[in-house]
Amino acid sequence: MSWSRIRYGARRIFGLELHRPAAAPHDADVELDAVIAERIAFLTARGVPPVEAQAQALLHVGESLTAARARLRASAEHREQTLMLRERIAEAWIDLRHAARSLARNPVLSTAMVLTLALAIGANTAIYSAVRAVILRPLPYAEPDRLVSIWETNPEFKWTHAEAAPANMFDWRERVSAFADVGGYFSFVTQSTLTGRGEPRMVSTLGVTGNFFDVLGVRATLGRTFQESETWNVGRTLVLLPAQTWRAQFGGDSSVVGGTITLDGRPAEVVGVLPDGVGVPGMDVEYFTNIGWDPASRAQTSFRRAHFVRPVARLKPGVTLEQADAALQEVVRALQSEYPGTNRVMGAQLGSLHADLIGETRRPLLVMFAAVAILLLIACANLANLLVVRAAAREREAAMRLALGAGRGHLVRRALTESGLLAVVGGALGLLLGWWGTRALVALQPPQLLPIGDVGVSLNVTGFVAAVTLASALLFGAGPALWAARRDPADVLKDAGRGATGSRRARQVRNVLLVGQVALALTLTVGAGLLVRSYAALQHVDAGFDGRNVLTAAISIPRSRYDSTAKVTAFFGELERRVRALPGVQAAAFASKVPLTPASWTSQISAQGRAIASPDEQVVHRTQTAGYHAVMGTRLIAGRFLDETDNATSVPAVVVNEAFVRQFFPGETPLGVRVTYERNPTDSSYWRTIVGIVANERQEALAKAPVPEVFEPLAQEPRRGLVLTVRTGDSPGSLAAPVRRVLAELDPTLAFSSMRTMQDVRSTALARPRFLMVVLSGFAVVGVVLAIVGVYGVVAHAARQRTREIGIRMALGAGRQTVQWLVVRNGLGLAGIGVLVGIVLTRLAARAIETLLFAVTPGDMATYLAVPALLLLTAAIACWLPAARAARADLTGVMRAD
Amino acid sequence: MALLRGTLDILVLKALSWTPLHAFEIAQWVEQRSDGEFPVEDAALLQALHRMEERRLLTAAWGTTENNRRARYYSLTAAGRAHLRTETEVLRRSVTALTEVLDARTAAVSARGTR
Repeated sequence: MSWSRIRYGARRIFGLELHRPAAAPHDADVELDAVIAERIAFLTARGVPPVEAQAQALLHVGESLTAARARLRASAEHREQTLMLRERIAEAWIDLRHAARSLARNPVLSTAMVLTLALAIGANTAIYSAVRAVILRPLPYAEPDRLVSIWETNPEFKWTHAEAAPANMFDWRERVSAFADVGGYFSFVTQSTLTGRGEPRMVSTLGVTGNFFDVLGVRATLGRTFQESETWNVGRTLVLLPAQTWRAQFGGDSSVVGGTITLDGRPAEVVGVLPDGVGVPGMDVEYFTNIGWDPASRAQTSFRRAHFVRPVARLKPGVTLEQADAALQEVVRALQSEYPGTNRVMGAQLGSLHADLIGETRRPLLVMFAAVAILLLIACANLANLLVVRAAAREREAAMRLALGAGRGHLVRRALTESGLLAVVGGALGLLLGWWGTRALVALQPPQLLPIGDVGVSLNVTGFVAAVTLASALLFGAGPALWAARRDPADVLKDAGRGATGSRRARQVRNVLLVGQVALALTLTVGAGLLVRSYAALQHVDAGFDGRNVLTAAISIPRSRYDSTAKVTAFFGELERRVRALPGVQAAAFASKVPLTPASWTSQISAQGRAIASPDEQVVHRTQTAGYHAVMGTRLIAGRFLDETDNATSVPAVVVNEAFVRQFFPGETPLGVRVTYERNPTDSSYWRTIVGIVANERQEALAKAPVPEVFEPLAQEPRRGLVLTVRTGDSPGSLAAPVRRVLAELDPTLAFSSMRTMQDVRSTALARPRFLMVVLSGFAVVGVVLAIVGVYGVVAHAARQRTREIGIRMALGAGRQTVQWLVVRNGLGLAGIGVLVGIVLTRLAARAIETLLFAVTPGDMATYLAVPALLLLTAAIACWLPAARAARADLTGVMRAD
Repeated sequence: MALLRGTLDILVLKALSWTPLHAFEIAQWVEQRSDGEFPVEDAALLQALHRMEERRLLTAAWGTTENNRRARYYSLTAAGRAHLRTETEVLRRSVTALTEVLDARTAAVSARGTR
């Protein structure tokens, strides 16, 4: 009678009672009525008159019938809810145990599946962490959505993202009503010498306006930020320390605030420490200083002509970017007519500060993100494939359950539990791998790829991993689950006797998955292939210099002690002379920059007494001492290099590069032509004579074509910030210490910054494309391995199913090769379709990496031929292995089986 | 006499310790065994049954009474049996103590304990 003792699982299968809260109120009523009726029957049987019996029975209830009903309905409902919940938990537990058992039955396969998933999810976690840190997370400033950057434009000079002139910035600040405030920072980091704290060292400083941190909405964690008045010279330099500098250089000592340090030989007051993570992304700043302009310069023309600040504006609340732009353009037009001399064609444009700062990093990261997503899809397809095979193998079990009355929903749930369990284990492992991968990513990243410091596995990232895990469980679990639900038990049981042939639908599902896998693997591999080709092209670029055995070291000398051209040239001349005297040094010279580093200043150019080909183009400038081109191994095309005879008193001379000649004097050799850096020269213009033409070099980046450049002698164009270049017989690195010693002897308050060999410079220039290539190639290799394993699995399974057919064919005299081909053809055909689909897919997707490629188009024929060929070849091998095994099968054994 | 708090549960479990019964049978058994000393109100009994089923001391299944009426038959689970055992022991001890107190003939308390 008490069958509710029967375990839940059995009750389910045999259709016995289950707990259902909906029926509880009715059941409670029935039960109460039964007690009353039984009591009446009992009493009447004892001779009590019926009316009396009924009254007694109702009295026995203990309270009014209505009250009792209400109370019992409630308690019954509560009971059913509790018991149903327990049932559900028991049910889930049973499913889970079932899933665990069925996974444990094939530990190798299950481990492989978990590892595949863990790898894919781990890779996704790592890349997502980076994407989130860089692209998704708002800037660490107050209400960052209201921050915009402003650039100046000049259609005549084709400037689109030019720095602003300070005077214009101040006018925008005062006159554009849509801006709450406008601050700015220098477009370049300055190297300053820090002395008085151990060895002198070079530190990178960035000048900002007094209100800069107020505009950003950043408060100092110690001390204060700059004040508005400190945009202007207040008699001393003020310093704000980023949290990182404060910890690394001052040991987190709070007494440093209010104290004085020595920068470039002059006292500077530390006013405060900034919060963690606050800096200018993409700029490596150790110290922020107040700009400290001379108030008198506000009215000078040069303050409106020289463009060197990057303004950041905070919009008033509720103002849109469009409204702000309209208001800005109005002021820009007014300035054009008020200052025609400088602003006649100057425009300005607004952009979100975030987009501006993240700019160059965005695409590589998104490409990597897309690549890991594809990898995860391949992994899911692979898992789905394996699970379908397993589900097919258990077809009889499923059919038996269905025939015994198990619901289809139940079978689906069971299949999903199995994939869910796999996913959770894989996801947990993936999170671990991801945590490790994130650290590896941060450690291996090229400089400034992840400009915002802390990339970490946060709660948010964990949420992402959970979502990805769930999504993949559904992705690879849905196939087997639906398939399980669609079975017709009768068919299966009929088929099962003969084995194998009945699973046509399973085969179709697997074939589609296989095609998808191969297609995605192809996309990934072509993408990686394009980057490899592009990287190879970059590596073989003729950079125009011989970087072997060249050491470089930047130095800048303070204006306070080197306040005349004579002192500057004397200092650098003496340093150069002493370095040349070091053993092992073949040549040494100074230049304002070395190849593959950002350009310094640019200007217009015009020639004396004649027109030039393209007067609107700009030239870049480089100051050098005699012998610089010899150190760099630059080829001389015509005329002469700059040498010792080009001094302060000689005729101003310049050397130009080939690009300069091609741009301004095409088809000529403009030796002896006199040029000036003004658009409309006058008699008083400073004219320089072109004395030589040198070969092009890659000035800023390997991927950037050479631009017109002029080289000027230091004696005629003095500068205080230069780079020492030294050519040695071998191992330039070993000269670092002697060169430092020479400087210390000459001026103990100075230090070199960023001492590195030209090989290092070149390798840094290649770091980002190399990183992207390596990461993507890694993903591609994993993707291809997964896809090929998929091909192998499908073909091997098909071959096993066809052993009988193969046996018969061979018995009837079919050759071994014919039989092998039969098996191979199947798998290779599918791989072929996958490749075709993949090529179409890739042609659509490859445009996304177009801007990341160099000297290779996204439709590069070689890649599109090599990758599919390689993929098909590996697929063929994967197909041939099971085919060979099938053909070797023991004939009589096969025939007797079943 | 009203039942001691919590005693109803024990009586019900006891009634079910031999065979599954429906609610009326349980009430009858308790009343008869106690010679009418423990009259059981139906609403209270049913609620106790619901509560104990929820606690899985009991399980229930629909059956048919001698009078051909549908009723829920309750039976003890292993947990219910264990519960009965421990609670019986507790109750027995309190009854003994109660009896001792009520049987007291002097106000004197034995040497130990009080001041």
